[in-house]
Amino acid sequence: MNEVKGNVVEPESERELILTRVFDVPARILFLACSRPEHMRQWFGPKEYPLTLCEMDFRVGGKYRFAMTGPNGVQNTPFGGEYLAIEEDRKITFTNAFEEPGSETMVMTYTFEEAGGKTTLHMRTVFASIAMKKLYLSMGFEAGTNSALDQLVALVERLVSA
Amino acid sequence: MLWPPAGYDDRTSGLTAASYIATNAYMQLAMQASGDAEALNRTFFALADPTRRAILARLTLGEASVTELVAPFGLSQPTISRHLKVLAEAGLVERRREAQFRHCRLNAARLAEAWGWLGNYREFWERSFDRLDAYAKQLLEAEKAEKKEKTRERGQRKRG
Repeated sequence: MNEVKGNVVEPESERELILTRVFDVPARILFLACSRPEHMRQWFGPKEYPLTLCEMDFRVGGKYRFAMTGPNGVQNTPFGGEYLAIEEDRKITFTNAFEEPGSETMVMTYTFEEAGGKTTLHMRTVFASIAMKKLYLSMGFEAGTNSALDQLVALVERLVSA
Repeated sequence: MLWPPAGYDDRTSGLTAASYIATNAYMQLAMQASGDAEALNRTFFALADPTRRAILARLTLGEASVTELVAPFGLSQPTISRHLKVLAEAGLVERRREAQFRHCRLNAARLAEAWGWLGNYREFWERSFDRLDAYAKQLLEAEKAEKKEKTRERGQRKRG
């Protein structure tokens, strides 16, 4: 599925991000944790930003709607989408976008691979565009051949890691 | 000093539109955590312009006078001054006057702070997975405890 932006098709491989983590539990436990709101509330997002809105109609074609509330007590812009594919204990695919005009939609897939009681979770995000991916992954300053701009990037990275 | 280099153009390098950043709810989330959303908003606005980013990049090489900053850009002094004002209001640049010259210096700490909030999508998920790791273990324990309880109940029914 390639997004058409103007006349240019940006290949999915350049818009995707895959995060991987191995968990010391069977796949059915992770699937359970991702498929019910009472469990989702327990782990989704940073601890200081609990899900204060968490509605899930967990079936293919069903919708979900989440919102987080930070330390200042104000609920953030809700976000949500639709479940596109569900394979029990194996895979969940859904769309995700902020409820805001012009907000771009990403397609996310959790894949659970169990082996020897451990489960590898791959979380694949396909962003709507390369620009969106760059923005979300702080690649916005990428300049390649521009040495002075590279220097700015290097400086900031030193500062951030210090 | 050769700045910006020939063919300089980072308009295509992402962070393209201030409006995009300003309306990006993911950024809002990040800004909220800073405790000073207004200030960080100004910082992102300042960073969204390629000329201002070029000025910042120049300032990583060291302090510069306004005149030195104007020379390479092919823009008028008032235009550069306007950009500098935005950068100063965002806390990214510090200005000081020495004799009749105005000098500008990068506030690296502020830039680092803003940078830290950009691209925290990965961080967001890593932190979620940390929590999922702990919670999944709890779920597994609860499942085991439930099985044990059922076995015990069955045993009691058989005996009774």
